[in-house]
Amino acid sequence: MRIGIPHFGNVYIPVKAMANKLGAGGEDLIIPPPTSQRTLDLGVKYSPVEACLPYKLTLGNLIEACELGADTVLQARGTGICRLGYYAKNQEQILRDLGYDAHFLTIDLSRHKLASILNMIKTLCHGAPWPQIILAFRFGMGKLFALDRIEKEVQKVRAVEIEKGLANSIYREAIQAIDEARDNKEVKRLNREYIDRLKRVPRGPQADPLKIALAGEIYVVIEPFANMDIEMELGKLGVEVERTLTLSRWVKYSLFLNRLGIDEWKEVHKAALPYLKRDVGGDGWESVGEKVICARNGCDGLIHLAPFTCMPETVAQNIMRSTKEDLPVLTVLCDEQMAKPGMMTRLEAFVDLLQFRRKRRRDKGNIKVFSNRLPVCHSEERSDEESHRDPSPELDSGSG
Amino acid sequence: MVKVGIPRALLYYQYYPAWKTFFEELGAEIVVSQPTNQAIFACGNERAVAETCLPVKIFFGHVISLADKCDYMFIPAVRSMGDKAYNCSKFLGLPDMSKALVPECPPILDPEIDLNKGQRHLFQVIYNNVGRYFTSDKGKVKKAIERSREASLAYRQRTCDEGLTWVEAIEGKQHHDHSQSSDSNPYKRLKVAVIGHPYVVYDDFVSHRLISRLESMGAGIFTPEQVPPETLDMCMARLVGKAHWSFEAEIVGAGEYYLESGVDGIISVAVFACGPDSMMLDMVRHSAGNIGTPFLQLSLDEHTSAGGLITRLEAFIDMVRRKKACV
Repeated sequence: MRIGIPHFGNVYIPVKAMANKLGAGGEDLIIPPPTSQRTLDLGVKYSPVEACLPYKLTLGNLIEACELGADTVLQARGTGICRLGYYAKNQEQILRDLGYDAHFLTIDLSRHKLASILNMIKTLCHGAPWPQIILAFRFGMGKLFALDRIEKEVQKVRAVEIEKGLANSIYREAIQAIDEARDNKEVKRLNREYIDRLKRVPRGPQADPLKIALAGEIYVVIEPFANMDIEMELGKLGVEVERTLTLSRWVKYSLFLNRLGIDEWKEVHKAALPYLKRDVGGDGWESVGEKVICARNGCDGLIHLAPFTCMPETVAQNIMRSTKEDLPVLTVLCDEQMAKPGMMTRLEAFVDLLQFRRKRRRDKGNIKVFSNRLPVCHSEERSDEESHRDPSPELDSGSG
Repeated sequence: MVKVGIPRALLYYQYYPAWKTFFEELGAEIVVSQPTNQAIFACGNERAVAETCLPVKIFFGHVISLADKCDYMFIPAVRSMGDKAYNCSKFLGLPDMSKALVPECPPILDPEIDLNKGQRHLFQVIYNNVGRYFTSDKGKVKKAIERSREASLAYRQRTCDEGLTWVEAIEGKQHHDHSQSSDSNPYKRLKVAVIGHPYVVYDDFVSHRLISRLESMGAGIFTPEQVPPETLDMCMARLVGKAHWSFEAEIVGAGEYYLESGVDGIISVAVFACGPDSMMLDMVRHSAGNIGTPFLQLSLDEHTSAGGLITRLEAFIDMVRRKKACV
């Protein structure tokens, strides 16, 4: 059995680690080449035209895995409301039409999560003993958590480093080192080591960079190819990125803590409640909540990432514009037509706006001058005048 | 009398008789918006985010047009019509999106309909979110639900038995017979199935009067609602397995049913950016390709012009007619 997987951020590293631990070498697990323009082209060519970007990219990955000889592929599934639930069925047909006789194994993300994943591992490695599987799973997850912890540090350092690109190169080194690590101890050591190294990166004098949160659909938020390395680009512009959606968080809560009744999104859902009363599938509800929470936490802005035509995020986008919390939101829709220069222009404009807004707010103390709907400001006298003006005399004169 | 506004969009086409019966049982008056026109579309389009699909934009237009004409707006959030198949996010977000985009909207009655949770839950939801605004008598609400269910079933029965479209059944039209079509030459009488959501096919603003145009080209039209729901579900299961979205049986099931029953051609009508359709239509197209039935996939949006659409329909009908003459 030769198993191919689609890419999703760094997920290939823990999967590879588990496969190695279970004695399945490079022959059994086929990691397709990193997502590239070719992956996208393949995906776009064979997908239904109106499918979303995650569908197209994962299809491209699977085609590339099949080209390398995969006969079984893994794909996510859910009984959700968004298109994800249907990916596997549709992609299976497309691969068959292309002449690859790939068997689809689906991981149901909506229920029996931990059990279904462990069971799948067990069948894949031809019934290895449970203790071995659990150890391997722990090892893989250890790598995943270490990578996410390092990434979190990188997001901070990128904004303030003097020599631009240093944090990134350390991060790339860290990914490789952790990928090659052989046991839990080594992973832990590497984790500490790289975080120390990142902390020692020389920082510029401006200690307080802009803080922008990233929210939206989980695939395009996490997969750098899908969002054109938005985090790195924001880092280059001197912005600290805050992102709650990480794979390790998903694993921690969805696989373990949710069953104990701990809901990581409780706060977020509660924040979203006045504007959106119910789950609309995907990450739509969470996106609305994130905006409210970010406004409270003193973030400077929010970048809302969504695949073009994503149903839950369209709902979120419609609602986010009119919440009363005052926070600038830039929605970036990701699809195959997206180009880097266009995105960079939008990011630069957004960051400029936020910097200006922050300065105005600091000058003014904590008075809220700008509403979300009017990002362009009035002159100072004008806004003062407006806040003192009593509307009633005008009304009187009008009616009289 | 208390006035309840019902936007003439989205689920109106399937559930209007049920809703009408329900509110009339509760002693409320119903106000339905005008059929979609340019002004309604423009209002909705102005406020919604550009990526929103056309029927939802039009829905907001209807809500705006009704805002000052009623005391309550009825916008149910339909999560599931049973069978663990769920609805598109936009249906779930409708009440909240309407609230966000149409601040002048009167109080919204937004029961969350999820038939997977059982009858009891359904009653609770309907009573708490709708019924109690009109009466404190739970029995009355229960009776209204019962009556509206009967009305809904009778309506569905009528469309299958008499071969009516939703709109014809709402308007109370009589059975129309395909054999009475103006073309007497049997070789020229084509059987064309039109598959698509009712809010796309029967909204003349969206579909540019597709049905009547096809009829005037001499085609006999077959639509999903003329097939009994159980048959639709069965056909759907055969083609794609268990349904993933509610309201997809009327596309995939109907497509498969008409392919098997041997129509001369199938026209699928979807709007641009429709999530469920983008995945499911591919399955029907695939199946049509295997059988060799001509299949026209129309993707409509606000920029679709009637001219371009007519040319495509004419070309398709000509092709189907020629194919039929050859066989």
